[in-house]
Amino acid sequence: MATQMLTKPQPDQNVESKIQQFRELFADAPELGKKALENALNELRSQASDLPPPVESAGRVGARLGKVSELTIIVPLAPGGAKRLRAFLRLLGGNLSQGADKVGTLHTMRFVFFDNDTRLLFATAFDGDWDAYIDDFVAKIPDYLDVIDSAWEGWPGIRSPGAKDYLVKHQITAEGWYVAYPDLTVAEIKRLQRMGKAVDEFLDKVGS
Amino acid sequence: MATQTLSRPEQDRSVEQTLQQLRKLYADAPEFAKAALDSALPALMAQAAESRTSQSESAGRIGIRLGRVSELTVIAPFAPGGARRLRAILRLLHGNFSAGTKVGTLHNMRFVFLDNDTKFLFATAYDGQWDPYIEDFATKMPDEMDIIFSAFEGWPGIRSPKVKNWIVEHQVSAEGWYVAHPDLTVAETGRLKRIGEAVDEFLDKVGT
Repeated sequence: MATQMLTKPQPDQNVESKIQQFRELFADAPELGKKALENALNELRSQASDLPPPVESAGRVGARLGKVSELTIIVPLAPGGAKRLRAFLRLLGGNLSQGADKVGTLHTMRFVFFDNDTRLLFATAFDGDWDAYIDDFVAKIPDYLDVIDSAWEGWPGIRSPGAKDYLVKHQITAEGWYVAYPDLTVAEIKRLQRMGKAVDEFLDKVGS
Repeated sequence: MATQTLSRPEQDRSVEQTLQQLRKLYADAPEFAKAALDSALPALMAQAAESRTSQSESAGRIGIRLGRVSELTVIAPFAPGGARRLRAILRLLHGNFSAGTKVGTLHNMRFVFLDNDTKFLFATAYDGQWDPYIEDFATKMPDEMDIIFSAFEGWPGIRSPKVKNWIVEHQVSAEGWYVAHPDLTVAETGRLKRIGEAVDEFLDKVGT
């Protein structure tokens, strides 16, 4: 995994002061939390001098690690919205590939109803910056978006100039974000997949 | 994406019926949503027929899966002081929870604070079935789990026999789930990445 080292001044001092901060934080934690912290501290001591790259901003809102960003939106559902959206998703067998593949920069996407169908979580992992990503959705699958998002209270319509502001208003930036391959975009994974197939074929032929 | 077709006169009929229902449900939707639905219908109809063979399935005890990749979405209330502790930990790690690498089956993971720091959203994309995945967390990063999850009300501890029940109780299955490469596990993507690097090296050498 991407754990390049950057030049970091005074690594040891940095680690010790972090460990100190952890201990202070956990002063009022449950016992099992404190115990786990002590167990983890030794490891932290060895890792912290090799700190992973920080999470950065995905643009207007959201977090990004390497090339992969997160979008987490929580919206209140409009009257009748939960019923409509659920029926729509069930019709598709819960699989949104038909539309989502078209976006081309989307790694994962989920729709989750909670609080007795009064709220919806919409969460995606995508490539690059927020604005370009939203523009992709708008350009490539505007109708899908409106079919889905019209279940959201106050959704102005994807072609409305207020659409991006609405999304920003309901998006919550993650405080923590992890991606197994932060350097791989959707397109890059696709390329690797083709390459893997070609190599298998090549080895088959060479081997026979 | 898996889109085999079957001969299916009956399925077509049931798709027709479902679409009819969907139109009825959207009768009270905003105008732009109705227009969007009509414009998306031909593609929808095709996918609905296909989705009989490529729909999302269960990830086991809870959650849904597309191909080899599953979703886990947990929403839980914070314990007193938990939000403050967790936010401070994540900030100390610069938001990058790189311990996730230890699990080996984790595609992505996000930590999001909700409702004025009273609730928490933990969402992951992972390989395979729910039970082995939770066991992976428990065996590969038990301390990290307790450090984080001791921020939530009622967390019994990762080593407790009650831990799976706690998770199931707070997990909400997604109604819609999309994965760009449903046939690629984390390990398989890692293999493809190594192949890609080897091929580049090979081509470099052959080319010179």
